[in-house]
Amino acid sequence: MAKIVVEGLKYRYPLSQKLALNDISFEINEGEFIGIIGANGAGKSTLCQALTGIVPLFFKGDYGGRVIIDDVEVAKSNLSEISLKIGMVFQNPFTQITGSKLTVYEEVAFGLENMGFEREEMKRRIDDALMLLDLYRHKDKNPFDLSGGQMQRLAIASIIAMQPKIIVLDEPTSQLDPQGSNEVFKAVSDLKKKGITVIMVEHKVEKLSEYADRIMLLHDGRLIDFDTPSKIFSKDDLKDYGVVEPVFTRYCKKIGLKDERGLYPVTLDEAVNLVVKKREHNS
Amino acid sequence: MRMMSLYKDKDTIIHKIDPLNKILYILASILITMLISDFKILTLTLVFSFLLLAIGKVIKNVFPIISFSLIVLVTIVVIQGLFNPNNKIPLFNIGQFVFYKEGIIYSFLLILRVLNILCAFSLLILTTKPSDLIENLVRRGLSPKLGYVLASVLQIIPQMLSTMDTILDAQRSRGLETEGKLIKRLKAFIPLIGPAVMNSLISTRERAMALEMRGFNSNIKKTFLNEHNETSMDKLIRYLIIALIIFTIVWRLVWLK
Amino acid sequence: MNIIVKDLYFYYKEGEDVLKGINLEFDDRCTAIIGQNGAGKTTFVKLLKGLLKPKKGDIFIKGLNTKETTVAKLASIIGLVFQNPNDQIFKNKVLDEVMFGPLNIGQDKNLAFENAKKALELVALLQKADENPYDLTLSERKLISIASILAMDTDIIILDEPTIAQDFISREKIKNIIKKLKEEGKLVITITHDMDFVAENFERTIVFNQGQVLLDGPTKEVFSKEDILKTAHLEPPYITQLFKRLGFSETVLNLEEALNYKIL
Repeated sequence: MAKIVVEGLKYRYPLSQKLALNDISFEINEGEFIGIIGANGAGKSTLCQALTGIVPLFFKGDYGGRVIIDDVEVAKSNLSEISLKIGMVFQNPFTQITGSKLTVYEEVAFGLENMGFEREEMKRRIDDALMLLDLYRHKDKNPFDLSGGQMQRLAIASIIAMQPKIIVLDEPTSQLDPQGSNEVFKAVSDLKKKGITVIMVEHKVEKLSEYADRIMLLHDGRLIDFDTPSKIFSKDDLKDYGVVEPVFTRYCKKIGLKDERGLYPVTLDEAVNLVVKKREHNS
Repeated sequence: MRMMSLYKDKDTIIHKIDPLNKILYILASILITMLISDFKILTLTLVFSFLLLAIGKVIKNVFPIISFSLIVLVTIVVIQGLFNPNNKIPLFNIGQFVFYKEGIIYSFLLILRVLNILCAFSLLILTTKPSDLIENLVRRGLSPKLGYVLASVLQIIPQMLSTMDTILDAQRSRGLETEGKLIKRLKAFIPLIGPAVMNSLISTRERAMALEMRGFNSNIKKTFLNEHNETSMDKLIRYLIIALIIFTIVWRLVWLK
Repeated sequence: MNIIVKDLYFYYKEGEDVLKGINLEFDDRCTAIIGQNGAGKTTFVKLLKGLLKPKKGDIFIKGLNTKETTVAKLASIIGLVFQNPNDQIFKNKVLDEVMFGPLNIGQDKNLAFENAKKALELVALLQKADENPYDLTLSERKLISIASILAMDTDIIILDEPTIAQDFISREKIKNIIKKLKEEGKLVITITHDMDFVAENFERTIVFNQGQVLLDGPTKEVFSKEDILKTAHLEPPYITQLFKRLGFSETVLNLEEALNYKIL
């Protein structure tokens, strides 16, 4: 059963001449980890917003095609209803803190209060979310006193507490230091293990290749390709789309090192394994 | 500064009293000070407020608030003592300025009133967490959106101020002079305020989206994480204050006749 | 020597030292400063720039003690590009924005105009000189904030996190800008979290950790000390990791170097 179905999606922001999304169609299955890559302005953020209903329910503008999540058409629903099916985490951890709550624990409660959950259910969900994101020991801190990585995990916890089946993350690590990014990547891979569908925009392709089942390549509002990391990064025209392959792949392309399927390695482990295999074969 | 608030976090009975009761207490003290012009009663109520502040362990924190209004109070004494139209009996003089008894009495009454109201307000502000106060009001029917704005402003304004510091640094790095003559400072205004406005517009939009993803506009009836059990003590206090208010009004009406 | 830092201490709140006894000298080598958030990197460059003054110790910029020199005077010697371009952009024309700094430090209109044009050319945005900065993308605004410092034609240029939230194309652009500045004989200091970016562009690397200098040396040497890097929660560049895993004892910094080795 396909969880997300996108058909002929087109969108233009108000006052803009250009289509931000141009005739995009794809399906995403339950439990998949999807990466989205593309140059700045390719439509990555807009696509995320269209999946979560922010386009066209928050940003108006010209809209065509359909986004269907669990048989519900996003454009015809409303944002609070959608938020129980699909959640979204943004780039800047700072602007995702509500500012109206004094502790991490209460911050996670914000969405649940709005959605009218019973107190016991609320507490259960907050405990679970804080455990999952490894924030439980910070539960009494003021959200603004957290580090960047912790704040971003709090943003994720606040979304996860709504228990959506799908979570969309728009460059969640771009403002963080390496340790903070690693924390977020680990958290996100834990979500996938829990069976949550993860959709993540990310420039750090080395990391993305480690986790993603499939990668979507966008350019100029169009979907160029949607396939496994190996197949996407083995393409030879990536530069035309303003993206770059993981450094391992770039190196192997330069020395012409590929596996029997004709694909290049995309992660450190894959590269090492391939070299070891070739070395054995040669000797 | 994390939060704009005068709240002092302490563990006292006063802190535990329902915020609504403290608001009622303010109402009562405004009413009493307006309706009653009796030195003894007003002194008594003031002493009572001080007693409550002492129990709340915040009496030290009241004095800065009072001293802040001291300038105004002294001005009242001077103006009334010198110029009150009912002035007849001279009391004392400083140089050629003669202070009159009527004006001084009137101004002291006024000061007592101001202090009464000030102390009642302080009791609310110093011993109630702003977020508790707002949540309490939302429970009683204040729009959750307005409640959110009130609550978040207290934390977000200090955050905005720290962005202001960064902007100041960024522009000084480009040779902007921000100190010295007035004209220089005026010139520095736009380079500082421009990015600040753009930044807050951008972050407001981002925050609005993030809030939408957390059911901010949901039509479902809101629930609350924190339990709110009105104790019988709270009820008792409420009835007492309401009784006091009614008594004052009735007494005043009867007394007037 | 461009910059001399002697026994530098700094705190925002007494008793909580952010920088604890930094001794450094900067020659002409392109230098990267790396380390976790909170290690004191940004505070350090603000001190170099004179925006903050040392609590103890001294900083000399081209012989001038920052304690005795105004920020405005230092502005014509040392430039600092802040992380977020939105913290500085306020003009409604790109060209005016870039000319703001040069005019402030006393360049006349013609010189400021020439320098602004040159700077915009360097960041490849000259064709957008008449547009409103806020109609451009965030990446382009970042490049404009870089240009607005380059136009001030300072001998020393500091970049705070230039590659943050940048895609591959803008990253390449920034790489080229650094290379050009190096050719012009300017000292470029960069704070960054991007280890591969460091390995590709910088001759010298300084690791900050908890307010102190943990490592300082040629980039290759610094990235060979994997264990020490780990204590600062840093990892060597990916290529370095790959060659280590493949059993090479040398530290291989970047793709260019990697092509000199035979791995099979």
